[in-house]
Amino acid sequence: MQDAKSQQHRDSIFLEEAEVLTHDSYPAGQHVLRVRAPECAARALPGSFAHLQCDPSLPMRRPLSIMRTDAEAGWVEFLYKVVGTGTEALSRRAPGETLSMLGPIGQPFVLDETRPRTLLLGGGVGIPPMVFLADSLRQNAHWQPVVLMGSEVPFPFAARPSRFILPGMPDAVIAAMPLLEDWDIASRLATLQGYPGCFEGYITDLARHWLDALDEGQRREVSVYACGPHPMLAAVAALAGDYDLPCQVSLEEFMACAVGGCAGCTVEINTATGPAMKRVCVDGPVFDAQAVNWH
Amino acid sequence: MQHSTLVNNAQQDKLAVDFCGLSLTSPLVLLSGCVGFGEEYTRVAGFSNTDVGAVCLKGTTLEPRLGNQPHRVAETPAGMLNAIGLQNPGTDHVVNTILPALDFNETRFIANVSGSTVEEYAEVTRRFNDSPIDAIEINISCPNVKEGGVTFGNDPEMSARVVAACRAVTDKPLITKLSPNQTDITDNARRCIDAGTDGFAVINTLMGMAIDIDRRVPVIGNNQGGLSGPAIKPIALLKVHQVYQACKAHNIPIIGQGGMASVNDAIEFLIAGASTVGVGTALFYDPLVCSKLNKGIVAYLDRHELASVTDLTGSLTLNNPPSAACAGG
Repeated sequence: MQDAKSQQHRDSIFLEEAEVLTHDSYPAGQHVLRVRAPECAARALPGSFAHLQCDPSLPMRRPLSIMRTDAEAGWVEFLYKVVGTGTEALSRRAPGETLSMLGPIGQPFVLDETRPRTLLLGGGVGIPPMVFLADSLRQNAHWQPVVLMGSEVPFPFAARPSRFILPGMPDAVIAAMPLLEDWDIASRLATLQGYPGCFEGYITDLARHWLDALDEGQRREVSVYACGPHPMLAAVAALAGDYDLPCQVSLEEFMACAVGGCAGCTVEINTATGPAMKRVCVDGPVFDAQAVNWH
Repeated sequence: MQHSTLVNNAQQDKLAVDFCGLSLTSPLVLLSGCVGFGEEYTRVAGFSNTDVGAVCLKGTTLEPRLGNQPHRVAETPAGMLNAIGLQNPGTDHVVNTILPALDFNETRFIANVSGSTVEEYAEVTRRFNDSPIDAIEINISCPNVKEGGVTFGNDPEMSARVVAACRAVTDKPLITKLSPNQTDITDNARRCIDAGTDGFAVINTLMGMAIDIDRRVPVIGNNQGGLSGPAIKPIALLKVHQVYQACKAHNIPIIGQGGMASVNDAIEFLIAGASTVGVGTALFYDPLVCSKLNKGIVAYLDRHELASVTDLTGSLTLNNPPSAACAGG
């Protein structure tokens, strides 16, 4: 037998027949799916994802970021948008049915204790891991999370005016995510679609408003966490570079095995010894934004 | 070595196979390129390397390779395309760092060697010969690299040269992985037997393409990729049957592989002439498929009152179809 250290990774991912508990539709093909998957719920961390069999007839599973979990109740919740065959099939699965689900998978976000002003940026279907991270940050008063979300389709929730004042926000930018309000976490929304109360522009521009309103000492306490479309994440990486802020991003890529076996989901990461192709599934999905080769 | 999921010795005896002189505890072989360097799937609770007879490690070249740009995989009807491009850390890293961390008590590990020249194949093989690896698979059928790979595998003369060069530097069992993307696979197999191969892996993936119709570009970064999954199983079965015709007189065993996804599929490969059955893309769908396959094969053997899985190999009886004239057609 090998020593324990080389086998630490073993038995960390669970295959579960996950019963669909609720499955709600939102505009533009967005869905919130809650499944019973106690093993995954007990172990998932912000940044973790699960690999779901959307339909028994499809040869490949689909990776979905986890939005929320309840370890005690044993459920895991996802937000996804229909973009192709797999997610279309998934959207037809009804409460009471079961889905084969592999999870939790991946390296989670790693928090920097010296930077409690956590700026969470979620774009479109990149919103879920930011909600998961916010849920974990609210457990400890040390953290002062600010969540900014962007979407070019209607947000999958009814936005409401925020109770919280955020430095640097333009006057009309008041829309917030109700769940985060309930958690006493400040949030704001950005869009180019003119949704009421939202910032008219990119999420990174809204983030600049907030960062510019902080003094230098406050800015040194900021760390950035982001998930969203590739161009948004590239812009977030550039923003973090401009302000010299540590930044972690959660990436996605077409995926086959999701356990590190096939190297199908790699992205180019710059390392001390040169460029390397890292697997989104088990080396990620969370990477240091400055190490990602954004092309 | 105990299967994690089989309960008694009688069941284990039924699944035991000799492959190129290696005693395997199951006819199941995890395929190169699907399971990294042997430890990746052990992340899944309930998966165990003890459930398979052997594990073929990721294709290895002399120097490290970054592999292809994304996308590297794409779903297709009843299968998937991949073009990884032989990403690997190079032979010395595999031999010196990865192999020592593997638990050789759990299963047999087979190296998969690749190269751009005959000399590179031989050098990689030589370095694995000086390692604890159990056997060496020669990958002359990778469709996703510009040099070597399938360009060697589709030319029987070149295939034989690669096999002979590897044979000259190792006493370990040599398995040649054949490409389906060639005219006469049986002829190629005969040449490889003459050149000294001890076994075959049949088949590697078929070359294919998928197109993004909105952007009018190939989905796969490498433009083309290798097709695997249930879509290719009938092709793989025929190729195993054909290669078996060249092998049976020499007692050369075959790993039957390509789209195997169920107990019935595995049995078909064995009947067609395979001694062992490869599990690849099926793992992506069901990571715990191996223990189910072992149980299912034992149940089949019991149902047909067969003592051993080896009784199935090449047990196919061909139909003798009447000619069109005789049939009155």
